[in-house]
Amino acid sequence: MTLTSKYLAILVVVILFGGIFFSSAMGWWQTESTKEAAKITSGEFAGQANPADIRGSYTFGDVEKNFAVPSAVLAAAFGIQDSNPAALAVKSLEGMYSASGQEIGTSSVRLFVAFYKGMPYDLSTDIYLPESAATILRTRNLKSEQAAYLAAHTVPNLGLGPATTAPQATLLPAAQSTPQATGAPAAQSTPQAQTPNASSTDRVVKGTTTFGDLLSWGVSQATIEQVLGGSMPAAPGMKVKDYCTEKGLSFETIRPALQARVDQVK
Amino acid sequence: MITVFGKRIRLFRPRSIWIRKLVQWGFFILIALISINHGLAENGGGIPLLANASLHAVCPFGGVVTIYQFVTVGTFVQKVHQASFVLMIISFLLAILFGPVFCGWVCPLGTIQEWVSNFGRKLFRRRFNHFVPAKLDNVLRYLRYGVLAWVVYMTAVTGTLIFADYDPYFALFNFWSSEVSITGLVILGVTLGLSLLVERPWCKYACPYGALLGITNLFRVFGIRRNENTCKADGACSIMCPMNIPVDSVQVVRDHQCISCLECTSEAVCPVAKTVQFATRGAK
Repeated sequence: MTLTSKYLAILVVVILFGGIFFSSAMGWWQTESTKEAAKITSGEFAGQANPADIRGSYTFGDVEKNFAVPSAVLAAAFGIQDSNPAALAVKSLEGMYSASGQEIGTSSVRLFVAFYKGMPYDLSTDIYLPESAATILRTRNLKSEQAAYLAAHTVPNLGLGPATTAPQATLLPAAQSTPQATGAPAAQSTPQAQTPNASSTDRVVKGTTTFGDLLSWGVSQATIEQVLGGSMPAAPGMKVKDYCTEKGLSFETIRPALQARVDQVK
Repeated sequence: MITVFGKRIRLFRPRSIWIRKLVQWGFFILIALISINHGLAENGGGIPLLANASLHAVCPFGGVVTIYQFVTVGTFVQKVHQASFVLMIISFLLAILFGPVFCGWVCPLGTIQEWVSNFGRKLFRRRFNHFVPAKLDNVLRYLRYGVLAWVVYMTAVTGTLIFADYDPYFALFNFWSSEVSITGLVILGVTLGLSLLVERPWCKYACPYGALLGITNLFRVFGIRRNENTCKADGACSIMCPMNIPVDSVQVVRDHQCISCLECTSEAVCPVAKTVQFATRGAK
């Protein structure tokens, strides 16, 4: 059998759009998230929605629907003053906290929800929460390692919204509960808190990590530039996160790639 | 008659597969409108009766990179939706039947590269598409399998759509949005710049999806077949091939780079009827 261009054109268009039409009729054609988080498949929390599956496109309302964490609590946690917090997209946090020293975004919401619900969460990477969120979480039943992690991963609220909207905020002033807020050495209960410049010793790529840190850990300039897809800044004291922001790169994407290179050097 | 590389060949006014251009630009405009509509919809507006899906949702490669997570966890990589999976399956079906027609007839990035190449062809004439030394070119053409392996591996490890930051296709239809990375824009710029020298540089050397679809050329149902009995061996088919495949030296094109564009066939550049055809095995 021979096909001419006209028949091939018709077949391509018919198969493509016919396939889409068929899948649509079968209910398979979905171009947006169903806003239903995947369920945990095993362990104590099997069957419950998995906080790790919260997407940036979720609104606080979607999070409330999946995890029964009220939108108002989420708004208070992240210092949002909005008459309709349920409509706020999780991914918008990253922009709001762009001036923060650390990245606060979708990962932060995932962590907050997990801690709020008393669920386990992978703490192998650095995820930061604003002080108002930490204040709320301190009223929940946190395990010791979760409390320690929280103490070392809290940043000030940046005046986005009043930390006082969070319960007990007045009982736990930021200066006492978050060492980074004052720049003073941390509470003595957490190992990281005792070393404010942990990024240079723990070899963990985070928001404070500078290019100088990466070089001192043995990652070559060529490797760094390969990950960045461009040349490294002249000043090694520049934070990688700041560089990404300046160049329009996603720090959430660059960070694991750099961490992989750091781990290779180890 | 002219002499090219020591061979005397007869040049004919090349006929182009006009309907392919029509289909290509139809898809280009459709994807552009959907992408613009997506931006408008996010700001509360939008064009009525037109889909406003994100570009990730209408890209079949999204389905490929999410396979690992779908099999192991049962979810899609973030930003990838079920529609990508459906498109991936349809594209595979098309490829098994006709080879990478998605590349040659549908992909808007291929369309824009071909459009830019029109200027390159006028600028450099016969040197166009022959700048890269053959030996180097042969090696570079396997680079896209490395890109494919890297993208699939990194997506599986990170659980994020890592290729979006490098994808010139995403950059092309989102260059106005804050979602596009500088790297993606630079790669798009380089791709379009190189299109002045080489036909479809991204497709030849870097496209991970083209790499995957190209494998189907080894067993596709319909393929480019040359009838040696009627062939005048004028080399026109090889000269016109945008992917530089030596069509005149094989009976059946199984090259992993063929995009089933039909520009080499008797319907286009081949001057002898029914000599180079897009046909099944045993067709006359």
